[in-house]
Amino acid sequence: MATRSESIAGGPAQRQGRGLHRGDAWRTVALGILCALMIAPLIMAIIISFKSPSQFTRVPFLPTWPMRWENYEFAVQIISQFLLNSIITSGATVIGVLLLSSLAAYSFAQIRFPGRTFVFYAVLALMMVPASLTLVPSFVLIRDLRLINTHWSLILPWIAGGQLIGILILRAFFESLPGEMFDACRIDGATDWQIYWHVALPLTRSMLGVVAVLNILGTWNNLIWPTLTLPERKMWPLTPGLYSYMEQYYTSYGRVMAGLLLGSIPLVILFVFTSRLFVEGLTSGAIKT
Amino acid sequence: MKKTLWERIWETKTGYLMVVPTLAFLLVFQYYPAISGLYRSMFDWNAGLAGNFIGLANFVELFTDDEVFIRSLRNMALLTIWYLVAFVGLSTGVAVLIHRIRNEGSKYFFRLFMILPVIIPAVVLILLWKFIYDSTIGPLNAILIGVGLQDWTHAWLAEPKIAIYAVMFRNFPWIDGVSVLILLAGLQAIPVEIVESGLLDGASGWRRLRYIELPLITGQIKLLIVLTIMWGVQEYSAVWAMTQGGPIDSTQVPGMWMYFNAFRISRMGYASAIGVVMFLITLVATILNMRYIRSQEY
Repeated sequence: MATRSESIAGGPAQRQGRGLHRGDAWRTVALGILCALMIAPLIMAIIISFKSPSQFTRVPFLPTWPMRWENYEFAVQIISQFLLNSIITSGATVIGVLLLSSLAAYSFAQIRFPGRTFVFYAVLALMMVPASLTLVPSFVLIRDLRLINTHWSLILPWIAGGQLIGILILRAFFESLPGEMFDACRIDGATDWQIYWHVALPLTRSMLGVVAVLNILGTWNNLIWPTLTLPERKMWPLTPGLYSYMEQYYTSYGRVMAGLLLGSIPLVILFVFTSRLFVEGLTSGAIKT
Repeated sequence: MKKTLWERIWETKTGYLMVVPTLAFLLVFQYYPAISGLYRSMFDWNAGLAGNFIGLANFVELFTDDEVFIRSLRNMALLTIWYLVAFVGLSTGVAVLIHRIRNEGSKYFFRLFMILPVIIPAVVLILLWKFIYDSTIGPLNAILIGVGLQDWTHAWLAEPKIAIYAVMFRNFPWIDGVSVLILLAGLQAIPVEIVESGLLDGASGWRRLRYIELPLITGQIKLLIVLTIMWGVQEYSAVWAMTQGGPIDSTQVPGMWMYFNAFRISRMGYASAIGVVMFLITLVATILNMRYIRSQEY
């Protein structure tokens, strides 16, 4: 398998000869095949999601008629509770992260308070602390705080962990804003709170969007932590919810696939509305450094 | 007149107030658990009990008396090396391919397509692959039977010798969209003049890649190597969802073994020690990487 991917990665480039951009044809074909392979499992899921059990037994991997939409009706009923939990927990987290990280980033970038370098590095150092080190003690902490089986058991730790990347991105942005502008506001008698709220935040709207998108992607995909702190499955967000849904209905393949596909839709919708921020967020300079 | 420290602190009190919420959250939910994890790794600590201080006994047991842990380290190394090949090597190839496409339309399409693995929830792909590997109704065995290779069919996730490779080769063709996009951004930031002058000197194809493009995206590659190693050492949600470490611990990775010790058999102190080992591995790998792979500025 490795040799196959190497030949795609480099081999044919050797034969490419001179010129900046020759050989579009084979590149398009190679990438097209890769993309087709990437999407193949989803196409399989779409085909199976419209099958009744007997249709699946007869023709498992090709389309059959009539299409069984009732698989989706069934899945919606189960998935919607998980989706609601996801919206509550990821939504509350993203609001907390935006608020906390923009405040701290503004302070680090624009207010010269004694000791700010030290405090900033104290925050930054946590980038090096992996989740594996904190998993067990975090669980005990949540238990001792009596937050087990509440959504706070997800929201509070997620805010704490999510604000780091937000502070990095927003601090870089606030520093790039012209300092004279902030000085002019101060001369006019504005407090830092007013400058933060009326000047800095409105200017940074698209960067806040980038932070929000990255944060939602991070919390949305969290599989294991919610299963630890939420003993009741009806509290689970979508990601562990889909896992338990598949465990429970494994042999009703049509229903399982319908559920997995429905569960993919929210992020696709988010992407449609924020596609520019998505690409910006994933390729922005703040992540590179 | 020079202001005293206290006057400066008082004048900038808003600055402190604005970082207080952040610091409060970090202290309670990050610093405290991290320090507690380091401390508790030296205890014989079960849930609910105070536990006894046993020094480094947990670590000694891990490395001398825990075959499953040693196997989990081997699996972790295998997976991490594989993720490096796939996420860094293969992604570089795909990024270069996309970068060199001249047609703007198809270039845009492929770039957009690379988002797909990001917006499909990771768990959905893991679960789809669990289904693909299914021994009785999975399409992988169906395809093998279809092309006459009955002997090659397996219970992919249930055979101890094969399961770890099944976990490893999930998500074929293993393109990581995030890596591709990060590398693509690096390639696009290379000034045209550099590539053109290189072309005048006869650097095209392989040589353009080897001597111009790769050196100029070392920053991105370095970042991806660090992120991939951190991820490879820690990630266990795929194992958790596909095999739970089985069959007979053949797909065990340190994260999964930590989870098992902490939450199935309540050996919290021992699990903390596993967490500390994972932390040290990522720390050493990151430092080595920062030290020995230098990026070139232009």
